[in-house]
Amino acid sequence: MSTELKKALYNISALADLGQAITSEDDFHEKIQSVFYVITGTFLVNKGAILFYEKANDKLTILTQKGFDLADLDLVNPAELKSLVKNEPRLIQDSPVAVAGAEILVSLWVRNEFIGALLLGGKLTVGPYTPEELELLNVIANQIAITLNNHTLFMELSDKLAENRRLYEEMRHIYHGTLQAFAAAIDAKDAYTQNHSYRVARYSAAIARELGWNEHEIEGMYVAGYLHDVGKLAISNDLLNKVTPFTPAERAEIRKHSTLSHDITVKIKFPWKNVEDMVWHHHERLDGSGYPDALAQDSLSEGVRILTLADSFDAMTSKRPYRKRMDVQSAIGELRKCLESQFDNKILLVFCKVLEKEIKGNLPEPDILPHLDSDSDLSVISSLLEAIIKELSAP
Amino acid sequence: MKSDQFSVVSRLDGDAAIIYPKGYLNNLSGESLVIECGIYIGKGITKIVVNFGETNLINSIGISLLLQIIEDLRNIKGTICCTNMSKFLKDTFEMLGLMQHMLVFPLESDALKYLQSGEV
Repeated sequence: MSTELKKALYNISALADLGQAITSEDDFHEKIQSVFYVITGTFLVNKGAILFYEKANDKLTILTQKGFDLADLDLVNPAELKSLVKNEPRLIQDSPVAVAGAEILVSLWVRNEFIGALLLGGKLTVGPYTPEELELLNVIANQIAITLNNHTLFMELSDKLAENRRLYEEMRHIYHGTLQAFAAAIDAKDAYTQNHSYRVARYSAAIARELGWNEHEIEGMYVAGYLHDVGKLAISNDLLNKVTPFTPAERAEIRKHSTLSHDITVKIKFPWKNVEDMVWHHHERLDGSGYPDALAQDSLSEGVRILTLADSFDAMTSKRPYRKRMDVQSAIGELRKCLESQFDNKILLVFCKVLEKEIKGNLPEPDILPHLDSDSDLSVISSLLEAIIKELSAP
Repeated sequence: MKSDQFSVVSRLDGDAAIIYPKGYLNNLSGESLVIECGIYIGKGITKIVVNFGETNLINSIGISLLLQIIEDLRNIKGTICCTNMSKFLKDTFEMLGLMQHMLVFPLESDALKYLQSGEV
């Protein structure tokens, strides 16, 4: 095989090496270093540099280099490079650019976008670059330009993504702040239900998490918990704080709050599914005797069933104008008693499991336990929970 | 490109360092060859023998790394000897004109004999 043929084969394999380097999963700088080695190994040069144009700062950054004086490279003017023919290797002596030790210069472009430059020194084998070598360098330069351009596009996209994430987080913050303000307004209307919305949100989210919902769904559940009583804003304070039993008309008026909650929340374009449905039906019962629509069984979503239980549990363990707060054991017993008719077996089972985990310290951030009566005997509650879990887990 | 495992071991024989690259010299892992030689050069060693007995293939990246070693040794007026080369390696080096920048011996022992002969 002639030397020319061998050289041609070597050049072809160098292009394959270049392709492999460019498409590798290495990080950008490793990729560029591999590309640089391919070039220096193909042309046997002891000096070389790849410069990257930072459009925002109108300056060139040295991505990698070998053999040049850094101060010389820093003096390369982007404007001079922009005046050269795109991706065409040329003798540096025929260009307006001057870098000591450099023989070849390529101004790197992708379409009309200036990307950077490639500089090469003399070959180890001495002698000028052959036309074939310059042609090969032209192909390589095009590939490098595309690689650098892709990196720029990727970085721009990454920056935009990071900015969008930041804005989204800010919006979430504002969203939650607004929700909290709403919940505070709801709870402020009724002196006896302070922080009720907050607790229902925490309990509901804890149950949803234990059920294996994803973080987005849990957040939706949390929001529904916060807003389930938002309709109470439209109910008179006197009625909400009434100490004596309600008349049938007053009860009917109070019961309007879940539909009002729906009417308010349905106007909000939530990023979560079914928030308005959950707040609408949080007073429905499995046996169909709830309100406002007397829905039963399959018509009640898992979210509604969670909210119903969390709301009732907090209502029972909170003081009311017409009764004392119920102790935790009694409230759990009451939930157990109302299974089938009012509450869902699976939801109660999960609620008991969460509470048991919290009592045993198995959850890093308890959602339910901190809000319960601090005088409660946890060992008694634990025994009760164990019994219910055993009963409800039985096939 | 990191899939092909390349490794380097070395030993000192008198005032010469013998380097044993192993594997396909075709990616950034080959930088370990330059680093290994650099360590000996840093210690004042000027004679390096690269035994290619377990490196049959090399690509443009490997050539670039080898070029670096040649240059590092040239800067200190050192000597690089390449031994136990496959036909592919020899043909490649010849075609690129690298043979003029290194000493080539069939075996490692031949290179060591030459380096110890005082001709260097």
